[in-house]
Amino acid sequence: MIDKQVLEEVLDTVYTGGVHFADVFVENRKATGISCEKGKIERVHTGVDTGAGIRVVSGDSTSYAYTNDLTREGLMEAAKIAASEKNDKKNLSVNLTKVEPSVSLDIEKMPEQINTGDKVSVVQAGDSAAREAGGDVIRQVMVVFGDVVQGIVIANSKGDYIEDERVRTRYMVQAVAAEGEIIQTGYEPVGGYCGFELLNMFSPEEVGRKAARRARAMLEARPAPAGKMPVVLSSEAGGTMIHEACGHGLEADLVQKGISVYAGKIGQKVASEKVTVVDDPTLKGKYGSYRFDDEGVKARPVTLIENGILKDYMYDRLTARKEDRESNGHGRRESYQDKPIPRMGNTYIVPGRDDPEKMIEEVNKGLLVKKMGGGQVDTTTGDFVFDVAEGYLIENGTVGPMVRGATLTGNGPEVLQKVSMVGKDLGFTIGTCGKDGQGVPVSDAQPTMAVEELVVGGTGHD
Amino acid sequence: MRKQGFLRRAEDAVDIAKKLGAPVAESYLSSAREFTVEVRDKQVETLKLADETGLGLRVLVDGKIGFSYTTDLGKDGVEAAVKEAVANAGNTAPDENRGFPRPFSEYPMLNIHDPQLSNVTKEEKINLAKSMEEDALAYDPRIKIIETSAYQDGEIEIAVCNSTGVSLTYRGTYCGVHLSLVANENEDNQTGFALDFALKYKDLDPSFVGNKAARRAVRMLGACPVKTQKVPVVFEPHVASGILGVLGPSFSGEAVQKGRSLFAGKKGQRIASDKVNIIDDGTMAGGIASSPFDGEGYPTSRSTLVQGGTLQGYLHNTYTASLEGTASTGNGTRNSFKSTPEVGTTNFFIEPGDIGPDDLLKNVGSGFYVTEVMGLHTANPISGDFSLGANGLWIENGSLAKPVKGVALAGNLVHLLKGVEEVGNDLQFFGGKGSPTIVVSEMSVSGD
Repeated sequence: MIDKQVLEEVLDTVYTGGVHFADVFVENRKATGISCEKGKIERVHTGVDTGAGIRVVSGDSTSYAYTNDLTREGLMEAAKIAASEKNDKKNLSVNLTKVEPSVSLDIEKMPEQINTGDKVSVVQAGDSAAREAGGDVIRQVMVVFGDVVQGIVIANSKGDYIEDERVRTRYMVQAVAAEGEIIQTGYEPVGGYCGFELLNMFSPEEVGRKAARRARAMLEARPAPAGKMPVVLSSEAGGTMIHEACGHGLEADLVQKGISVYAGKIGQKVASEKVTVVDDPTLKGKYGSYRFDDEGVKARPVTLIENGILKDYMYDRLTARKEDRESNGHGRRESYQDKPIPRMGNTYIVPGRDDPEKMIEEVNKGLLVKKMGGGQVDTTTGDFVFDVAEGYLIENGTVGPMVRGATLTGNGPEVLQKVSMVGKDLGFTIGTCGKDGQGVPVSDAQPTMAVEELVVGGTGHD
Repeated sequence: MRKQGFLRRAEDAVDIAKKLGAPVAESYLSSAREFTVEVRDKQVETLKLADETGLGLRVLVDGKIGFSYTTDLGKDGVEAAVKEAVANAGNTAPDENRGFPRPFSEYPMLNIHDPQLSNVTKEEKINLAKSMEEDALAYDPRIKIIETSAYQDGEIEIAVCNSTGVSLTYRGTYCGVHLSLVANENEDNQTGFALDFALKYKDLDPSFVGNKAARRAVRMLGACPVKTQKVPVVFEPHVASGILGVLGPSFSGEAVQKGRSLFAGKKGQRIASDKVNIIDDGTMAGGIASSPFDGEGYPTSRSTLVQGGTLQGYLHNTYTASLEGTASTGNGTRNSFKSTPEVGTTNFFIEPGDIGPDDLLKNVGSGFYVTEVMGLHTANPISGDFSLGANGLWIENGSLAKPVKGVALAGNLVHLLKGVEEVGNDLQFFGGKGSPTIVVSEMSVSGD
């Protein structure tokens, strides 16, 4: 993709006296997108986006220059833009040595080895299965397939040289059902750090059927209740809650700026002792997996909360440097056009010992969440919300009718203290996590859990 | 000189497509330069300069459309993109309504390029961000943390060419400031945020943004939940324009044709209270989303979507208009060269009414004044169902009485539109979306 000597030349240009760190991130991103609606293949898009980001850190100030001109001249021009103005012109020489990965994330079916026709076929398969499963009430089905091969080269002033290729594939079906004036939707996404084998791990027909059945069932759902009540979060529901309730607040940049409710609480009890939270980008095949982060730091599992005690935050190089420690491999960027910042990878609550069935039995009047949608958090206060894509009332210990239109609202540290039971199971969901205008692929997971109390934001009033 | 060269490159791409067996082709070339500075504690924390140029190519082969993009603008790169686009066309369904627009004799004349921007020095821009930070800190001693105080600007150049004779280009600039901060008192932290975007540098008001962000944080100190209840709700322009954004897709001709619009089959019908007028205007003076032509080279226009609560029509690109047997509204928008021109909004807003925001509060008497919502991206634009985390101020005796946080606000967009009782005179834009303060008769608030 790029000549190592050119990278050394670029680094030599910017790495001058007074500069603490400099790096170059080169990216070649090849993407495919296929979509089907009204039963027709409407869009088949492919493309290549190539560019480089150069970063120069001097004290607490960082400058960045991005370009998609990867010629030597283009890179040197960008290097001059990023170069520190107050350097003393004493150039330091950089010799690059390749760093090998410690974990392997193997790909079975590389996207470029699969015919576009085969990709089109799985899209059509999801469409027909959804229409069949949903029946007459299905008004529309949308199926989207996407794969990305992201080749990267990272070189820095410490002499690290990293080459990596990341492969991600995703597939989603959205069904729209209508009856009279009511329109409802069902959405089912799957994805992973993998190639076309994703569609062996998840049958496209089954993804389509799930979306269509959810859309159809939602037509019959009644409005969600309003007010505080106990909630059981099924493992199938995914991990949006943990992502919002504590994940973001444990990103070191927010902690250091003093805008995280978890700042200054290392060693303190921030959750029920049943709660252990880990972020592990080295998990095989998950959507948020990677071998190296976007600063060339080797990925590793990081225990964030252990038995309720706050253990660590997620660091990138800049935040680690401020505390005179090492990054723990959480510096990520959406593309060469963005700066690396502390981000999550695969965040999950470690399974416990409780029986998921029992959790429902113990609730008199509450809510069972079987699928979570998106969420958001104000890390400063810890207040968060997440959407319930599939929820049921719990009445006298049994699962009652389906409800719609609910968001759950709570405060991170308060809710984590109120986790009364943690199940033996574990379920993952995928998402694109947004922060500072950058979206990165992540996955979240949790066992079935009982929370003593959350605010359910429905419209049904007793 | 540069302009000519730029347009020539886009034309060349169409010529290459013709030579490679795609006589019906379109090229979209964009070049963007963006500058950002973030300051904290009077020091420059981040300085960023980004340059990006890319090409998107659509080809039409036997009634089938294919698309590909590339950042490699050399002959080989463009040829590879053409071949990909042709191959991709082979996998899409044929559709006689696909096609590219013809050239028009006139396009809207817009003043969207600020030649002065390039004369503003980096130091001036840094000082602007610093002064905004200072204004915020000076507003109140309880402002304790500046999360980000940033200035950014950009210059874009767009060219669209097709084999039907369209050959167009324009240049535009924008600049903006945004500030987020935290106020603290008695271990209570509250956040505040404000922004301002403009096409011209002299139109920015950093002092206004600094004071506004600070005021928003300070007034929330001591906030707590309220009881679960149904009350009248007043939405601040920032929140109202966010909700309007969720409604945007429902006005798209494509969503209507595919049965996933709340407003499908409702043209001529009442979809909102008679106080509501909704406009999309790609030609608006000073609008951040204004341009002389859209992402496929069709002239932009002003569309009245809702007048007196009655649905007037939908937004179209060339394709959805052809399906409908009507004309494009010039709403074939592209996010970047990496995407095709899809039906989207430009400057999209609720028209202002006659009443000032203070008088609106007086008329409401008691209710919930919503200043911030969380989870807006989880609102469902197809079913219209939404349930949001909300912060704001409780209205008592016609004025703002106490801060409220940690409650949820739920409803359906269809009911919300019909329940609009008043529309304020204080239209404000947040990027391409704008709204005045609006009052809704009754909504569900979930709390303690």
